[in-house]
Amino acid sequence: MRGRVPEMLLGVGFLGIMTTLYLGLNWAPSVSINAFESPAAQRIFYWHVPSAWAAFIAFGVLFVGSALWFFKRSPMGWRLHVAGTEASLACGLMAVWSGCVWGAAEWGTPWDWTDVRLNTFGLLTLLALFLVLGRQSQPDGVETRDTFSTFGLFGFVLVPLTYIATRIWQIRHPGPVIATGDDSGSLQSEMSLVLLIGALSFTVFIIGHMLISMRITHLEQRLESVQKSLDGGN
Amino acid sequence: MEEINLEGTVYLTVAYLGMIAGLAIWTWTVVVRSRSIEQRLAAVESSIGLDAEQADNVAEQSVARTSDDATD
Repeated sequence: MRGRVPEMLLGVGFLGIMTTLYLGLNWAPSVSINAFESPAAQRIFYWHVPSAWAAFIAFGVLFVGSALWFFKRSPMGWRLHVAGTEASLACGLMAVWSGCVWGAAEWGTPWDWTDVRLNTFGLLTLLALFLVLGRQSQPDGVETRDTFSTFGLFGFVLVPLTYIATRIWQIRHPGPVIATGDDSGSLQSEMSLVLLIGALSFTVFIIGHMLISMRITHLEQRLESVQKSLDGGN
Repeated sequence: MEEINLEGTVYLTVAYLGMIAGLAIWTWTVVVRSRSIEQRLAAVESSIGLDAEQADNVAEQSVARTSDDATD
């Protein structure tokens, strides 16, 4: 039972994500047709924001894992690094994709190269892509892990920059609608509730994913070691 | 009655289909990798008569040795 906790988290998270989709499409109120060019497309928001939120959690895990490997040589830290890169790539791509489609509907263009929030988040997703592809193409070893951990450590500087970007330079991407600090959140309570369910569900879902990913890395290391000992190596 | 904006609905559908496909591919890949590695490991370990605990010890020693080699 204990060994299947990640799969259970995955299932619970998936149910929550689908519930969010249903509520977002059928229960949450429509936005004002005067405030948006494409009010129907605004409902993309119910998965876009939670997937971006989940990506930030995954980038946090990537940072912690990179630090644990780089400074402590912790095998658990490397597993966290690998799990964090895969989860941040998946969630980052979902946020970028949904954002591009919404941008095309609302702004008439999927991307604005002058918008700081879009570009820093895009860079973070590219960093995750580089780390995932790089790890797959390089033989596993201390030097490889050190190199990728360094990218994980320094790349994390983009996370707070992305978070504050719309508070400092609001160009295209909408400003914050929750946690604004001055009670000026513009969300109706039903919208906030659906968004909260989405954020919790995505969080549970990626925790399940990251636990499975850590287990896979552990098993890959075990397989490699057993094969080495079979070959008469180390 | 609210007017249905077909263009907005098309964008909405495209966005959610893309994200559903992303979630499905990601989850499928991870589950398949997990099952595959478990089966391969079980086959290798049973062929040399190692149980899971012994194999864990071998893996931990190997990681520690690799780390030591790099700091030498």
